[in-house]
Amino acid sequence: MSVADRVVAQFDREDADGYPVGLTLLSGAIAAAVLSPLAWIVIRVLQVDTDYALSIIARPTIVEILVTSLGLVAAVTGASIGIGVPLAFLTVRTDLPFRRFWTVAVALPLVIPSYLGAFTFISAFGPGGVLADALAPLGVESIPSIYGFFGTTLVLTLYTYPYVFITTRASLLSFDQQLVEAARTLGTTRWEAFKRVTLRQLLPGITSGALLVALYTLSDFGTPSLMRLDVFTRVIFVEYNTFGRETAAMLSLQLLAITAVILAIESRIGDSSRGAYVGTGASSGSDTTVSLGLWKLPALGFCASIVTLCLVVPVAVLTNWLLRSPSGATRMGGGFEWQFAVNSVSVSLAAAVACAAAAVPVAYLAARHRSRLSELFDRATYVGYAMPGIVLGLALVFFGVYYESSVGDLSVFGADITPTLYQTLPLLIFAYVIRFLPQAVGSTRSSVRRVDRSLTEAARMLGRTPAEAFRRVTLPLIAPGVIGGAALVFLTTMKELPATLVLHPTGFETLVTYIWSVRESGYYGFAAVPALVLIVVSGLSMVVILSQEE
Amino acid sequence: MTGNADDAGGDEHRTVSTRRGRRGFLKLTGGVTGAAALAGCLGNDDEGSTYSREGSIPDAKTYAADELFNIEEWRGSGPLIDDRPTEYEGRSMLDLPDLRGELTIYLGGGEGGLYENLMRRIQHTYRDFTVDIRKAPSSQHANTIVEEVNAGQSPADIFWAIDAGSVGIVSENDATVELPDHLVSEIPDTYHPTDQWVGTMGRARSIPFNTNEFSKSEIPNDIFTFARDPRFDNAMGWAPTYGAFQAFVTAMRLINGESEARQWLNGMQDQGVGTYDNELVVANRVASGELNAGFGNHYYSRLVYEERPDAPLDLAFTQADAGALVNCSGAEIIKNTPNETLAVDFIHHLLSIEAQEFLTTRGYEYPLLPSIPPVGDLPTIDELNPPEFDLSRLADLEPTLQLMREVGVL
Repeated sequence: MSVADRVVAQFDREDADGYPVGLTLLSGAIAAAVLSPLAWIVIRVLQVDTDYALSIIARPTIVEILVTSLGLVAAVTGASIGIGVPLAFLTVRTDLPFRRFWTVAVALPLVIPSYLGAFTFISAFGPGGVLADALAPLGVESIPSIYGFFGTTLVLTLYTYPYVFITTRASLLSFDQQLVEAARTLGTTRWEAFKRVTLRQLLPGITSGALLVALYTLSDFGTPSLMRLDVFTRVIFVEYNTFGRETAAMLSLQLLAITAVILAIESRIGDSSRGAYVGTGASSGSDTTVSLGLWKLPALGFCASIVTLCLVVPVAVLTNWLLRSPSGATRMGGGFEWQFAVNSVSVSLAAAVACAAAAVPVAYLAARHRSRLSELFDRATYVGYAMPGIVLGLALVFFGVYYESSVGDLSVFGADITPTLYQTLPLLIFAYVIRFLPQAVGSTRSSVRRVDRSLTEAARMLGRTPAEAFRRVTLPLIAPGVIGGAALVFLTTMKELPATLVLHPTGFETLVTYIWSVRESGYYGFAAVPALVLIVVSGLSMVVILSQEE
Repeated sequence: MTGNADDAGGDEHRTVSTRRGRRGFLKLTGGVTGAAALAGCLGNDDEGSTYSREGSIPDAKTYAADELFNIEEWRGSGPLIDDRPTEYEGRSMLDLPDLRGELTIYLGGGEGGLYENLMRRIQHTYRDFTVDIRKAPSSQHANTIVEEVNAGQSPADIFWAIDAGSVGIVSENDATVELPDHLVSEIPDTYHPTDQWVGTMGRARSIPFNTNEFSKSEIPNDIFTFARDPRFDNAMGWAPTYGAFQAFVTAMRLINGESEARQWLNGMQDQGVGTYDNELVVANRVASGELNAGFGNHYYSRLVYEERPDAPLDLAFTQADAGALVNCSGAEIIKNTPNETLAVDFIHHLLSIEAQEFLTTRGYEYPLLPSIPPVGDLPTIDELNPPEFDLSRLADLEPTLQLMREVGVL
């Protein structure tokens, strides 16, 4: 037995009831680590004067914000399912022309940060924008406002539906068509078979995508704030920026309470997967293709219009900014450097690897050893995902600085060995893990579920240790899920802004911090090149995600 | 993509080294008198000041342009940059102490890289000096610094932000050290209301207007007139999400009271004011004639004017009210920094004639050294008539946002 095997074996050792103690401890530790920034919020809230705290909660505007936030989450999630599920079906199960192209194209919006999407939509469809200018000669005096609830829903949906698309697609790919046929042979109606077999198998995929959409919507601040919609994140951000740190902490706590409710709802729906038969993989599903016939053209139109809105509009606007770049801005300094792209890619890769590593134990435990505890750990990883980046960033500032000052100056033989954490890459990567771990957990968990237990059992019967069985049987089978999850983390890390701004090492500029710094002063032209580089680099990783699936 | 004007780094280095002898001398005498002064008291003992150069900095004086440190290279070029002065009063970088060591600077905003560019330029001037620049929104840096100082120690030596509100909030939270007199003495009191921070460049609220629609004398010198005069019905544009606009409303709220600010906002909405994303767009629309006039920081019109020199665009300023607010960027030194002396010397470089000229002729902001005129035909900062107002109070932004939301502007 190699050392690695022995280590893994420790974690897979089972107690008398067959429960893996080591694995449980390990995923418990991971869950505790990602929950730790919550402590900061609690400390902050405890500092708030009780009367003042109550007066904040009772403010009528808070109720309004709550209603708007929940409405937005519902609208975006619903619309994302409405777009993502049909697209997944079209690209997996039908004879849609250029399927491979559409598969990549409709997943690509995920590479565009939603705030960048919002900018370009305002630029294109806002008052005084390209569309308004184009329609003005035709006598159209005003177009419906892009601002507010509608615009926020539109932009967030367009840039988050790919979550549903990707997870649903993965479910469809591993879908066992024989089951439907079996059900039909047993005399159930087509509808019954759909409901009891198809939906049952697809639902976990759809809900895990929908959960990511819902939590993203709840935590995104860029889009609502650009679209001028008062939701929790925007108000929290304003509070932080106007130095109401205690109020912001209270609101964050409320936001996390909503997260808990959403997680509870999702785990209810996710329950339907419990005990569902899990097929042996993709092999049996893909040969039954639905012929679109007359629907071919509308289907193509659907795909094309989504791609136009999500990709063509922003890229066109960015290109326009690039060409219109004011001459005066060029000499103000701060040119784009390829190093920013290298920084973005390396830190995103590190986050992806770290998330994948942390996700495997949590996901494996949750998928293989269902218990209250394993489910709790699994759910806990989602909390950080709903935490606005700015809240998380400042929480880690507190921890980073406090840690340093409490450790004090350590020296050995006169050499300073004080460990530093604050504003270092490890802390930044830790922040990314907190934010994006669920993306890796979700993808890994569903791939573990798809692995036929009897395969590992067979390996055990042939005398393999649990560790060997895991490494030689399970790991290769779940690898696509793990890599897919890691690639998702890579993508979202590339786009992450608020936590990066707070926690990056000084001088470590990334594509998004650069975009932020030039855009903030109104020089949109400078933002175009890094934004296009960001889209291209992330686009390449999207191809990796999709090719891993098949 | 960096501009050619800034690529002169190599030449600069050569010229600098020939002047190094003189700098070395200054440095030596500075060291001796500095040590003597260290024994003296710096006024604010509990801040634990480590500043060590008291009394060794030469007085401000008048320089002919060619006595300065390659002023032509610090100066920008372009249609608006002719007729720069032949002499200036203040301190030349040549007479300031050499910079040696490493500083961490939190930069809030920074005018599209311009501030960063200046700091890099100063770094290139000194062989043994490094600046580590950390960029974020001003208010976010302010929050972070307060959090860091509360928890023990901020990695920042200096906070330099584009708005007075953010530097104000850091000093009010007892996170800064008092600046020595020689550093702040040349900057008008308005731009250093306390000795905890000092203004670096000014940005004036202004009324860009289309000269085909109005002559300068027709623009009211009272901001409140815009909200009731029918001549401005469906004629104006603003950018209410922009920080400088919100600072202006904050000033109005604090000077005139909340109800008058509310009336003004409502009045402007009744006038059918057009809403835009930023003030550069407002200035552009005024230049193209889509708007007759607007509200914006003065330099946006300069930027438009630079690109379209024939545009019928001019600037007017109101008098002694919030509409004529001059906000400023400001710098301060963070408490407990081990590099206080270097930090003071560095901020002094930002206030040197060369650096002020650099920012003035490239970003069109108002220099705060009185001897340096603004670019083009802008009135000097003395000719402007800003309201009597403590700029630190601009940090009181939250009620403003509340108000703007209530009246439906945000």
